[in-house]
Formats: sequence, C-alpha cells, structure tokens
Amino acid sequence: MKSKRYVKDKLTQLLISLVSLVGLIILVAVFFYVFSNGSSLLSWNLITGDYNSNVFNGYYSTEITTNDFAAPSSLSDEEYFSTRWGISFMDDEDTEGHHIIMITYVDIDSPLANIPDKNDETATISISSGQKLMTVRFSDNTMLLPSNGAEKANQLFDTKTSIADIMVSTSGKGIRGSLITTLYLVIMTLVIALPIGVFTAIYLHEFAPKKNKFVNVLRRLIEMLTGVPSIIFGLLGAAVFIPIVSSLTGADTGNLISGSLTLAVIILPVIISSTEETLKTIPDEYRQASLALGANRNQTTFKIILKSAIPGILSAVLLSVGRIIGESAALIYAIGTSIKDEIIITERSTSLAVHIWSVMSGEVPNFELACAISIIILIVVLVLNLSVKFIVRKIAY
Amino acid sequence: MEKVFTIKKLNLKYGEKTALLDINMDIPKNEITALIGPSGCGKSTLLRTLNRMNDLIENCHVKGDIKYEGNDIFSKDFDVIDLRTNVGMVFQKPNPFPMSIFDNVAYGPRCQGVKDKKILQETVIQALKNAALYDEVRDRLKESAKELSGGQQQRLCIARAIAMRPDVILMDEPTSALDPIATAKIEDLILELKQKYTIVIVTHNMQQAARISDNTAFLLMGELIEYDKTDKIFSNPAKAKTEEYITGRFG
Repeated sequence: MKSKRYVKDKLTQLLISLVSLVGLIILVAVFFYVFSNGSSLLSWNLITGDYNSNVFNGYYSTEITTNDFAAPSSLSDEEYFSTRWGISFMDDEDTEGHHIIMITYVDIDSPLANIPDKNDETATISISSGQKLMTVRFSDNTMLLPSNGAEKANQLFDTKTSIADIMVSTSGKGIRGSLITTLYLVIMTLVIALPIGVFTAIYLHEFAPKKNKFVNVLRRLIEMLTGVPSIIFGLLGAAVFIPIVSSLTGADTGNLISGSLTLAVIILPVIISSTEETLKTIPDEYRQASLALGANRNQTTFKIILKSAIPGILSAVLLSVGRIIGESAALIYAIGTSIKDEIIITERSTSLAVHIWSVMSGEVPNFELACAISIIILIVVLVLNLSVKFIVRKIAY
Repeated sequence: MEKVFTIKKLNLKYGEKTALLDINMDIPKNEITALIGPSGCGKSTLLRTLNRMNDLIENCHVKGDIKYEGNDIFSKDFDVIDLRTNVGMVFQKPNPFPMSIFDNVAYGPRCQGVKDKKILQETVIQALKNAALYDEVRDRLKESAKELSGGQQQRLCIARAIAMRPDVILMDEPTSALDPIATAKIEDLILELKQKYTIVIVTHNMQQAARISDNTAFLLMGELIEYDKTDKIFSNPAKAKTEEYITGRFG
C-alpha cells in the first residue's frame, strides 16, 4: 500500500497540472476564435487598402455595336465575362459581410476603361478590376443592383448597348491607415519615453542616494503609476497634451503627437521599473572592477552598466510596444476615433486597437473584421518579439 | 628598501563597527606582501583601503593616513582615479565584463582616452602575454570573455589590470574560487609579475602565502599582530597568536 504522503504529493501535482491546463485551454480557445473568425477576411487588400472608398460615376451614351471581346485565359469558373463590354464580374462579400459584385477584369480596349465622368464634363473615369459595382442604369432604364448577382449582371451587360449611369467604388475598409498610425505611435512614443525612462532608472539605481526618503517616495509613486487605468491618462492627454500640441503646431483636434505623449506617460513607469529591475541584476562586481580600473562613474555607467542592461531594456521596450499597440481607451481621447488613410502627425487618425473598437461599436458589430485586425496585431507583436529575442542573442555576451 | 605604501595609524569603521585598528605598516616595492588572518580580521578591508575602493561603501569612516609614493591618498587634492590607474586590483571571484576578451583588456586604456587602434592592440597583446594567457586565447580575442574557464578568466582579470601599466597590483584571494591546477598557474604568474610590480595579496591559504610571498602580515580582529619576512613568520613567529594561527590551532 502506498503511503499517505505519496498519494498527497501525487494529488497536489495533478491539481497543479489541471489548473495550468485550464489556463492553456482558455488561451488556445481565444486564439482559435480569433483565427477561425478572422482568417477568411485576411487579405493583402485588407492590409494595404484604403479605408475610405472612392465612388466613380460615369456614363456611355454611344451605341455599342460589336460583341467580340475575348475572355482572358485566367478566367475562373466563378467569373462571368461579358463579350460585348469586355468586362467580367464575380460575386463576393465585403469586409462587412454585404453581398457585392466585384469587377475582376476589364479589357484594355473595353469602352468602360475610359468613360466620361458624370460629375465633371471634362474628366474621364476608368473602370478597372478590384472595384465593386454599385448601381447601373442602362439607357432603357433597366436597373442593376449588387443584390442581382454577377450572373444577372453579365446577362444585362451582354444585351444592353449603352449605359445612362454607372456607379462603381473602390473597395475601401482597408486598414493601411490604422496600421501606419500604429507604427508611428510605436516609434514616436518610444523616442519620447525610452531615453527619459532609462535615464530615470539609472538615476534612481546608480546615482540617487541610497536610503533617501524622497527617492523612496518617488520610486513608490512610479510603481503606483503602473497600475493606473489608462483611460485616466487619456483624460490627461485630452486636458493637457492636446492644448499644448495645438498651441505649438496649430493642430485643432487630437493628433498623433498628443497621442504619443499620452502613451509615453503610460509606458514610462513600465520602462522605469523594468529597467531598474534589470540594473539590480547586474552584479556589483562589474561596477567594482570598472572603478578599480580607474574608470569614473559615468564611464562605468555607460560602458558597463548600460551595456549589460541592454537585453533587459529591450524586453522593457517589448512590454511597452505591446502596451502601445494594445492601447485603445486612452487614445480615444488623445487622438480621436476617425479612421484615416492619409496619416499626418498633427491630425487625427486611429491605431489598430481603436480601429477594432470602432468596428465593434457600430450598429452591427463586425466580429470577422475585428478578428482579422486582431490577427494582424498578433502578427506584428509576434514579429517584434522574435526580432527582439534575435537582437538580444546577437549582442549578449 | 624603497617603500610604495606607508600606512600610519590607520583606523577604519563600518558605521559603529571597528574593522581596522591602529595599523602601521610599510609595503616594499617589487616584493610580494601577503595579508593573512581568519575571516573577518580586516585583511580585505585593508587591501581595499589601498586603492580607496572602500569609498564605495556607505558609512565607512577612515582615520589615519596612507602615503602612496609619498602622497597622502586621503588628501582633498589627491586624484583617486589616478591612484586606481596606478594601483590595479584583482578580485576574489573572476569578474570579466560581459564583452569580448579584447574589449575586456582594452577597457582600462580606453577609459583613459586611448583611441589609437594600433596602440590598443599592442597594449592588449602585451598584457595578455604578461598574464600568460595570450597563447590560449590568441585566436579568439573577439569571443566572449565569459566562455573562458575560471582560471583563464582570473588571468584575464590580471591582464586587464596589467594593461593599465600599474605599479602595484592588489589581489583579493585571487585563487580561492579556482581548482588546484589553475591556482598553480596563477601562483607562477604572480611570481613572474614580481619582477615588474609590487604585489599585495590577501589569502586564506597559508601554504600559498608561504610559497609566494616575501613578507607576511598577520591580522586578527582588525589589529596587525605581526608583520615580518615570510620566512621568519612561518619558521619563528614572534607572537604566540601568530604561531597558533599558522599551525592551525584556530582560524
């Protein structure tokens, strides 16, 4: 018979394994949910595309007589090719799940490749692949709508010989702007916060007098700041940084600079604490050896201490980048929520996290798009993580 | 006999605790002086006072004076950085910096403002040769110093100190973390270095003191009990306490 102690030991081990399994299952479930929902929408167009769609409105009043355009060899089974107009259509869904008719091919000699603009007599517009068909009114007043589907659209185009009104739009809803904003925020925030944070940590650990009350209070305050909810920093950004940046640059709303300053305040305590933790792990022997070799304190700090602390500082950077990319509450106040394609640092725009918030806060929350953006955020974080690990391995002795 | 250090009425306190009491001794040039005594007797403290490494410890109060080549090292206009470039130090635990072997040895000269690559190269190679390490590391100067064995690391630390071209090298139990073979190599090296440098060595190992040193100082509870030629101390000590200690009756 096995002893009580043995059974108790095994039971405890089992319990601990089960608890960690629960945590693992939750993590895997979250990833599975995000990937299964978002991966269908994930495409190069989503990443590089504009958010705002451009609508083109044109007409073609000349009777078309020929009907001999050749279908391209790359035409798939799902595409419908109109031999009269030299254009092909396909059924599709946009990022919000609405049914649309995509234009997948336009022959270079097609009349549609160059038609007069309805809104501007002197201009012409070009219908091209990648655009979506919104409405068409043929000269006999037959209407074509996206809900008719690609097959019906093809039938109509093949039978009708002139168009009174055609409206197409570029696909839109892409996240390029938000992606670029996020990268801007990461870089600008780190440029502001990293030197301040690292030097503060160096002061606190290397130069500040030990057992000094003021220094200890300061350190406690910094630790407390780590736990302050970011929305409070967002209010600070709106109340302090936006007016300051506005008076300096003439920006009239929340902007990227005020956003970066707000994020810098948020990550500053993280950088200070984790850099100080790293400095604590650097053996005192290095300091002593350096000083015994006739180096002064600055040389010791910069050549030995700071150099040995680089891996630790880099992981602080990694934590901060995660925080910056994931931050949404504070940015809603400090930058605003309008999604932009052209990124100007003195104007509003949104980060990917706020983009998700914006997608989900509409009348119909778009889970698929939110998940697709989440996947991109995860990929960005993963790439950063791996590159930091790589750099640390390269420079660490 | 020429004297490098002249110590007069040296008293040292860590806060309220007395670590050194009325120490008077001279350290002769180009000889090996060993400091022996049981743990906590103040031998390391005395050694670290010689290049003022005790300055780094808060609550450390020093009274009395130490003259280094005639200059009072505690006087206000004495440059401690200058002292430390002339008085090198090797620690108990090998403590190479986390950088390449070359950069470790070049660290001291670089901190003094030497930038010329050729001069640095020559200094480093010469220092490594003097520390009897060059033949073992000549092909991997760019590799991490942390990959060397413990004994090699300690010889690297000696090379690092030599690269400063000091007059004195202080060694704080330099072999206590090493195996017997590495210890023997370091001891040979110390005897070799005696030609050019004055060496003060703290050691726990009495055989080591007997083997390599010219003079031996025995400390007990912060007091200098006896200081004489090593032969004399080990064959015919003047004080009963010294005899008890070296014969292993306490310690």
